[in-house]
Amino acid sequence: MNASLQGWGLWIALAGATIGTYICRAIGVLLAKRINQDSEIFRYLSAVTYAMVAALVVRMVLMPIGLLSTVPVWIRLLICALSIGVMVSKPTHRLVPALLTGTVLMLAYGLIR
Amino acid sequence: MSSADQPFIDPSEIKLEASVAQRYKNRSEAFWAGIRDAAGAPAMVLFAGMVGFGAMGKTNGMDAWFTTATSFFMFALPGQVVLLEMAITGSSVVAIALAVTLTSTRFITMTVTLFPQFHEKDRNHGLYASVHLLAMTAWAISMREFQTIEAKHRLSYFVGLGLLCWIISIPGTILGYLLAGVVPPYITLGLVFINPLFFLLTFTEVKPWVNRIAIGLGFVLGPFFFLLDRDTSLLTTGLVGGTIAYLFDRKVLRKRAGVMS
Repeated sequence: MNASLQGWGLWIALAGATIGTYICRAIGVLLAKRINQDSEIFRYLSAVTYAMVAALVVRMVLMPIGLLSTVPVWIRLLICALSIGVMVSKPTHRLVPALLTGTVLMLAYGLIR
Repeated sequence: MSSADQPFIDPSEIKLEASVAQRYKNRSEAFWAGIRDAAGAPAMVLFAGMVGFGAMGKTNGMDAWFTTATSFFMFALPGQVVLLEMAITGSSVVAIALAVTLTSTRFITMTVTLFPQFHEKDRNHGLYASVHLLAMTAWAISMREFQTIEAKHRLSYFVGLGLLCWIISIPGTILGYLLAGVVPPYITLGLVFINPLFFLLTFTEVKPWVNRIAIGLGFVLGPFFFLLDRDTSLLTTGLVGGTIAYLFDRKVLRKRAGVMS
């Protein structure tokens, strides 16, 4: 703990992180004005975005930090698979039941371990 | 003329002309519809994620103001986690700002793929304010819903959706901070799992094959690039996976009739 940032340093770090995050959003707006949604570049950037978001999600599932990392990987994957099963069992309007399935299963695991 | 030479037609445009002429009567109806749609799964997901983050802030000895301020100002959960993690381990301010900015590069392409779908008249300087409301949750929902919303009402819908998501994240963080150590760990476990699960589930609704391939490649390449260099892994995975998916779609899929879109 003694290595951690304290007081003003912490807030300056937050300011830097906030500005960095907002700059990324603002660059997006700047570029969005010039991009037509029927163009090839739009199609390309969509693919890039989905790959990025997928990488973020797989990181959260496979290499989480904190409490979730105490759950064995195969349990995490099994619960994901079961929830996706509920989701695709009917093409529409299954998001909430599928979400609840996964959450309840994870709760149950935490309760019985 | 081969199919590859033809301009890409957004499926949403075809649908609009045919059946869904007007999903909403006016802007305010679209705004409230956005709020209503946010009030279900998206708010639940964000709230849960922020509760988890609030608890993380408390257990790592941060003060409540700081923990909540990150949700208010940054409103990007993965970036907030990186900030907290690095602050705890004593990284320098510059290193923190850089690492968080790299995690946030996804916002560039997220904005670029969402905002061109707004009506021409709405694509003005006001977007620099609305863009703060953009997070992965609102993006995933908007990408799906915009296909059935007429262009002139999309901005209002998005603002409603994003606003509730942003506002709900503040009490979520505070609650998580207050509840840390009070609620049993299995509840927290369920809460922190909702976030990745939600995005995993929304991926099943992605229709175009180019994007499906990109998601698949993201799953495979993501952990690999993460082990190489964690800070730049999202960016490199996106660029490599996205490029391969796009080229495969362009060179292979679109050459075959019927597989397009």
